[in-house]
Amino acid sequence: MDDIQEILEDFLVEAFELVEQIDQDLVELENNPEDLELLNRIFRVAHTVKGSSSFLNFDVLTKLTHHMEDVLNKARKGELKITAEVMDVVLKSIDMMKELLESIRDNGNDSDINMDLTDICKDLNAISEGEEVVQDTQAEEKVEVEAKIETEAEEEIDYSKLSDAEVEAEIERLLVQKKEETKKRKEKKKKTEIVEVKKEKTPSMQAPKPVAKKPASDAPVKKHVTSAVEQTIRVEVKRLDHLMNLIGELVLGKNRLLKIYDDVEERYEGEKFLEELNQVVSSVSLVTTDLQIAVMKTRMLPVAKVFNKFPRMIRDLSRELNKTIELKVTGEDTELDKSIVEEIGDPLVHIIRNSCDHGIEEGETRILKGKPSGGTIELKAYHEGNNIVIEIVDDGKGLDPDMLKAKSLEKGIITEREADSMSNKEAFNLVFKPGFSTAAKVTSVSGRGVGMDVVKTNIEKLNGIIDVDSEVDKGTIIKLKIPLTLAIIQALLVGVQEEFYAVPLGSVLETVRIPLDEIYTVEGKNVLRLRDEVLSLVRLSDIFGVERVFDNNEHAYVVVIGLAESKLGIIVDSLVGQEEIVIKSMGDYLKGIEGIAGATIRGDGRVTLIVDVAALMDLAKNVKVDITAVSEEANKKKESPSDYYVLVVDDSKMDRNIMKKAMSPIGISVVEAGNGQEALNIIKSGEYSFDAILIDIEMPRMDGYTLASEIRKYSKYKNLPLIAVTSRTSKSDRLRGVESGMSEYITKPYSPEYLESVVRKNIKLLAE
Amino acid sequence: MNNKLNQVLKKQQKQISEPEKIEDDIVQLVGFVIGNEEYAIPILNIQEIIKPIDYTRVPQVPDYVLGVFNLRGDVIPLIDLRSKFNLQAVNQNEETRYIVLKGEDNTAGFVIDRLTEAIRIKKNRISPPPETINSDSGMIYGIGKRDDSMLTILKVEVLLKRDF
Repeated sequence: MDDIQEILEDFLVEAFELVEQIDQDLVELENNPEDLELLNRIFRVAHTVKGSSSFLNFDVLTKLTHHMEDVLNKARKGELKITAEVMDVVLKSIDMMKELLESIRDNGNDSDINMDLTDICKDLNAISEGEEVVQDTQAEEKVEVEAKIETEAEEEIDYSKLSDAEVEAEIERLLVQKKEETKKRKEKKKKTEIVEVKKEKTPSMQAPKPVAKKPASDAPVKKHVTSAVEQTIRVEVKRLDHLMNLIGELVLGKNRLLKIYDDVEERYEGEKFLEELNQVVSSVSLVTTDLQIAVMKTRMLPVAKVFNKFPRMIRDLSRELNKTIELKVTGEDTELDKSIVEEIGDPLVHIIRNSCDHGIEEGETRILKGKPSGGTIELKAYHEGNNIVIEIVDDGKGLDPDMLKAKSLEKGIITEREADSMSNKEAFNLVFKPGFSTAAKVTSVSGRGVGMDVVKTNIEKLNGIIDVDSEVDKGTIIKLKIPLTLAIIQALLVGVQEEFYAVPLGSVLETVRIPLDEIYTVEGKNVLRLRDEVLSLVRLSDIFGVERVFDNNEHAYVVVIGLAESKLGIIVDSLVGQEEIVIKSMGDYLKGIEGIAGATIRGDGRVTLIVDVAALMDLAKNVKVDITAVSEEANKKKESPSDYYVLVVDDSKMDRNIMKKAMSPIGISVVEAGNGQEALNIIKSGEYSFDAILIDIEMPRMDGYTLASEIRKYSKYKNLPLIAVTSRTSKSDRLRGVESGMSEYITKPYSPEYLESVVRKNIKLLAE
Repeated sequence: MNNKLNQVLKKQQKQISEPEKIEDDIVQLVGFVIGNEEYAIPILNIQEIIKPIDYTRVPQVPDYVLGVFNLRGDVIPLIDLRSKFNLQAVNQNEETRYIVLKGEDNTAGFVIDRLTEAIRIKKNRISPPPETINSDSGMIYGIGKRDDSMLTILKVEVLLKRDF
């Protein structure tokens, strides 16, 4: 039973592959009806499917393919001319074949869907008998072979019921039969070998010739070569996914190693072993990167997998719409991740349909415009950095920005004001709005206003970018920019107050540093004029509700993100850098949190959240915080000196008391800590907000230098006065103090008045 | 399939509602304190107990979800039981622990004030929660009676269920 199942699975895999190929071949055939080799190939597909299906007792499928085979056989012999009408019937029968195969895949048989074959068989018969010219022998022979296969199949299934003796007899009979078969097969092989040789000749002969011939024809030519000898094994996708996960862990480990190396390098500068460590670290990181690329490659599929269905689609559409449209495909060998290949099919179908229906004009209109009567759609795929770009170019009537605006106004998608201030590019992007359609009437092809919205959502899901360019009467170019893979991505790490977020680098268009006074407010929205564009601005901390500690920076870092067709400027506090990150899910409990696409583990072992750029854009619309207004808000008012807090860090109780006493005339509140660690904990707890910190250098557990540099790591304490109070007075000590972030240096012994005045100066609380 | 499931559910229901029938069944629990109350969780649901480590805040979630933390390469949510039980927040101290609970398809860390002990308790000493407090999102599995005290046994599936 399992054997049968296995055979069945093999059959299905093979059949679907064949069918995918055949579609393209058939369309090709219509253009070159004389191409004998194409015909042979198509015939072989029908024949193979017929053979296997009769073996597996799929009667309906066998019957259908048998009739197809007849027609194709005639064509192959030149007894039948391939016309568009003949093609329609053949293509229809291929569609039915697909349906039957799907039914076999889903139900395990081909009878469940009760397909009525009489019509199509009649049509096929009519075609094959239409020019009936003897040549019966070949057909008969075929039937014979088929009969043999059938009997074989029947007996095979009966094995379980046979007695031992019968089995032996059966085996003997089969052996004899097999011998005959191999003989036949050998003969056949000879034939195919001849074909193969021819095959290999064709490309080599065509190759040197420049693109003189139809460019469409060199796609299948390449195919032949690959189909000849291909050394492959089938691997479950699950295994590759697992491998990918492991690599992800490795990448994280590598990041961690790099980070540790940086720390070590800082601490042991000039030591000899650093050189060795450096070599190991870089070779590990190099190998990891190579390994990652290699594993990613195993998951790569050529886009041809998606592109292959378009020639057929264009053919059907052009017949349906009564236009002549030629499809030119280039770069179908470009590879990208399997999961992405699966996702881009739908968007491309919608875009191409749109181009056929709305883009390309009727033949007469085209001639009036001085263009060739047949339209051309180009489908290109190529790499660009870490992205793959898919371009759909048509030479149709193009998009008219004014018309688009008018339509959107009519449908209430935009307001009149928005329409006035809209650039051409923005107007083109209106086509992606749900509910938008330029078609005067709904046809079976398009016009419902959902298609392009689907395109947008799908591309956004892949973190892709859509770019539309068009010129009236010249044509339209739609560019889809999609990252190569989804699991490991390059990200820009940004800091917001004390938190860090990772923004997928594919969505980052640029980063700029601007003075705050360049931010304008238009209709309650903050905008920035960036070259010739007006960009909405929003603070990341407002979107994610990050606790805000006042930051009196006069400059802001703006990360310009772009997704599909929209752009947004995000204000962050710092730009950390670019890093390769591995996307990890946050589990069911935190799945689908708005604005967060996942998490990653950074080199220091901490979790960093990955921003979901698409959701961020939606969230940004609801943020109503005026950036310019907030930045003018001053510190909390401090009324009396006791509202000021100073932290005194010293391991000696006596020293602490001396300092306290010195400061008592100011009347400020003093908090004490016995060592650096304790002080850091008090600061972190957020119980007090300190205005200054007095730090001793020599302390157990954590010394003053370390404490100072720890405190400076927090952006909210960037400007907090840190006053070193120490007896270490050498120049190098002072230098270290400055390096670690100390703002003042008081040497012991000191006079109480001096300490008092320094503290007063630093907390800006001067004596009256 | 559904029938089978119903049977299992019924059986579970039976076990919960009639614990006295299985006289000798002993449940092993881990006891811990939140606020002034002692709580317990079946030991088999606990993946591990760790000392507090850094976590990363996650935006757009209720207050009791503190964020996520890195548990040997896995990103795991951290939930503050104090705030989930509507208790005043306190700072973490030496005794604070994270209990990592593993459910069918979810894992999460829970912040507790301190651990007490591993507890073996007979099933017949566990009574279902009083009707009046059962409305509390059904977080309570039962009340365990001990010689000198009572402890609230929490339902792990409910704790691990996302309720926002």
